[in-house]
Amino acid sequence: MIEFKPLTYEALKVGEEFVSDEHLVTPEDVETYAFAVDDHHPWFFGDSPFGGPIAHPTLLGNQALRLRHGRYIVHAGLHAKMEFEFLEPIRQGVRARSRGTVVDKYERRGKPYMVTEFVTEDENGTVLVRGRFTQMLFRG
Amino acid sequence: MNTSGLVLPSLQKEISQRKIDAYSVVRPKSIHTDPDWARQKGFRAPLAQAMMSTAYVSELMTRFLGAGFVRGGTLSMIFIKPVYAGDRLTVRGAVKDKRREDGVTRVSVDVWCENQHGEKTAVGTATGLEPPGVEEK
Repeated sequence: MIEFKPLTYEALKVGEEFVSDEHLVTPEDVETYAFAVDDHHPWFFGDSPFGGPIAHPTLLGNQALRLRHGRYIVHAGLHAKMEFEFLEPIRQGVRARSRGTVVDKYERRGKPYMVTEFVTEDENGTVLVRGRFTQMLFRG
Repeated sequence: MNTSGLVLPSLQKEISQRKIDAYSVVRPKSIHTDPDWARQKGFRAPLAQAMMSTAYVSELMTRFLGAGFVRGGTLSMIFIKPVYAGDRLTVRGAVKDKRREDGVTRVSVDVWCENQHGEKTAVGTATGLEPPGVEEK
């Protein structure tokens, strides 16, 4: 049982770790994402050089970005920076999970920020994507 | 492939609320999908998620390098200006440099997105691996 609390700069701890639920990457996910970003590359809907259809490399970015929602109530935040390394294609049908660690928090010009490093793996432990992102927190 | 200085074909993206809704999942108290909440937080309209711009650059790079971006690519972006529902973005890239790395060539590209007013909304660098068999000329 998770006891959710509002996300504040004060509540957040450097070193805090998050883990997402497992997510099955479905053709419907890919179709929805393709619509949202208007990218209908044929590799997402048929064969690809990787053997079978794949997903957009950034498809699971929101799984990582929303890691903090697994513990906190987050009503608003702004994304300041994003770094990705695409290590393996995201094949449709994999079950993916992201894990993240808060590696820094700081205030700049009176605004609070948090920095998270993450990895996204498939069910075999193969790292698909890893990266780091910085989010600005809203006060109040 | 002598690509140094090459300007990549740009992409145009119309940012509709419907696309933002599909990307971010509609929910109350979201600056992306709840117009009243966005206004309460000081924005004139719902914002596109910044991550959408990383997807656009990913498309630009996949068109350029194909499998060498999907496996082995990197992307680093800073989001400098909000993108609102109704905006039109142009996604651009220009090859910065190339270097050998473990027997392959990594291509670095300056990437950025501009809104309909010509203002940059996101800037960064993307890299990927040149297709095998492509030799420097």
